[in-house]
Amino acid sequence: MDQNEILENEQVEKILSPHPLSFMKLQSLCLFLIIWGVLVGWLVNFSEFKDLFFGNPWFPVLAWGLVLLLVGVIASLLTIQWSIFFLFLGIFAGGLSLMLWQNWLGDSGIFIPFFSVAVSIVGFLIVELFRRSHKYIITNFRVVFRGGVVTKRERTLRYDKITDIDAKQGVLGQIFGFGTIIPISQSGFGLGSDKSFAAGGVQLGSKKIGLLGLFGGGKEVQTPRARTYYELHGVHPYRDIKKLVENLVQGHVITPYQQEQVAFQKEQVDIQKQMRDLLKKQMGSKEDEDNTES
Amino acid sequence: MSVSPIDVLIFAPLAPLFGVLLFWFIQLLFIESQKYQLSKIWEKHKPFCRFTNLLGIIYQTFCHALGYTVTKSGISNFFISVDYGKVDPKKEKKGIFEWTSNAFLFVGPFFIPPLLLTIFFVIISENRLEIAQSIEYSFAEGMINFGSNLFSFSENLFILLSNIDLLHPPHIVFLLFLIFLGMGIRPSYIVQEKQKKVNMLYDLYNIKVHIFKKPIYIIVLILFVYIFSYISVLLNTNWYVLLFSIFGWLSIIAIVSIIIAHSIILLIKITDKFSRFQKILTFLTLPISYGLMRVVLLFILPNEYIASASILVMLISTVLVVFLLLKIRTNKFKTTSKMKGLRVEDGPKRNIRK
Repeated sequence: MDQNEILENEQVEKILSPHPLSFMKLQSLCLFLIIWGVLVGWLVNFSEFKDLFFGNPWFPVLAWGLVLLLVGVIASLLTIQWSIFFLFLGIFAGGLSLMLWQNWLGDSGIFIPFFSVAVSIVGFLIVELFRRSHKYIITNFRVVFRGGVVTKRERTLRYDKITDIDAKQGVLGQIFGFGTIIPISQSGFGLGSDKSFAAGGVQLGSKKIGLLGLFGGGKEVQTPRARTYYELHGVHPYRDIKKLVENLVQGHVITPYQQEQVAFQKEQVDIQKQMRDLLKKQMGSKEDEDNTES
Repeated sequence: MSVSPIDVLIFAPLAPLFGVLLFWFIQLLFIESQKYQLSKIWEKHKPFCRFTNLLGIIYQTFCHALGYTVTKSGISNFFISVDYGKVDPKKEKKGIFEWTSNAFLFVGPFFIPPLLLTIFFVIISENRLEIAQSIEYSFAEGMINFGSNLFSFSENLFILLSNIDLLHPPHIVFLLFLIFLGMGIRPSYIVQEKQKKVNMLYDLYNIKVHIFKKPIYIIVLILFVYIFSYISVLLNTNWYVLLFSIFGWLSIIAIVSIIIAHSIILLIKITDKFSRFQKILTFLTLPISYGLMRVVLLFILPNEYIASASILVMLISTVLVVFLLLKIRTNKFKTTSKMKGLRVEDGPKRNIRK
């Protein structure tokens, strides 16, 4: 944080970055790519099932692509993020195009593992670049969130505007001591919603008379959620940071005694205003009387 | 040779039972040693120790959940974290059901995870297990048959381990499961603060309390064991010895997994004395030496022992690198300079260290 960005009397308490393993959801996609690519290479070249793939050069490519897309669909449904499916679709399309362009279809058993490893390495690098773009600055006045590789985003949150703190720690977080803290602001920033929908079709009757019924249902649940650059994502040491943030929020909350004092002062001001108005009124009526007498 | 009826009726059923107990105690000793080793590296390797704790808790919690499922108590709450696991039943059943579900919690972690790994081993092993046949049903024969079955299993296991192919996906998965089993197979776990002494005796005490809580159940269990033994004799089968041999196999696979996990912990502990670069070098020696040996044996010296020779070279080269670095870094073997040279005189007949 630059010196000119610091406010008057502001002190920086901590500058944090996400833990290297906190983006495991993205890293696991790359890991899956490597494992599946190498497995396809082993199945086609060395396993006892290798004869199955000898008939047609398209077999290994189709097997690789089908599983890739299937896992993409499942992962997208589970995380409600269709970008995963399109990412895998892009990788499959890219690999296929390269094979057709360079006429490597016959050597797909060798190409697929190498291509998967290469794409995964690029993936790991992008994830690492994305992780390193995050910076969280905790000061005694506010929390500054920064992130984004190309488009830089920044959020500043004052402690008196924080209404709630959501904190979560996954299995890896529990092992390595990192976790995510989402401060929810009064405006509801930091809240997302989960929506599930089920639909089904029923056809009744014979070939001539058909009836199609569609049943659907929706359910929406408010849940603490924010982009990684708008939350304290995967910060380490989790417990210490959580305690620090909670203490800072607590320090900016007005206590009941202070609330009573404010209310009392407000009451006093109101009384004084009433008295002033009364005095003004009395003065006004006295002046009127003087005028009429004169 | 005639066998005494007393031997067949009273002593013979005890033979495989003693065998299982012996191997189980050996397993407990190894577990205790591993817990001690883990507590030594806790400060420097908290994530690793937490991971082993998590594995242990997963095994315990799943065994407890299995206990509730078997007793048809149902599961209302299932919770696992790095230092705590909890399973609550839907219906609080008493008597034999409660006793059985607790037995799954206390004894299950020793045998259920190894059972799953044994099934995996039997699937990927290419050799057939030879089962000893009973003839006389005496105590001595029971012991011999139990030992033969264990030998047959151990032989197959060591054949697989010495020929394990680290470029073969099912073999890699088996090895990973074996390591994970060795790291997590313990009924209690190490914690950051030593709140209470959690050791082998504590585990055994828990089991003793569990057994003596309802002694009638254990008598019924022993009776069942005897009846099963008599049925085996009457039907002229080896089912009885085979049943206990399976428990012996589970102990063997558990002991092997603990030894492998032990060597990993030892490697981590030793490399703590090295610099960061030396540490990376030590751990890189494992895959690099293996990969190089595979390439050499595949293209330059092709033979039928590619997998086993590569494993051997990998282990030897790693041990050599560790010894070499230990000598350079720590002078552990006291060979670089004489002890006498490190002392100076500070008065008549007195020496202090430099």
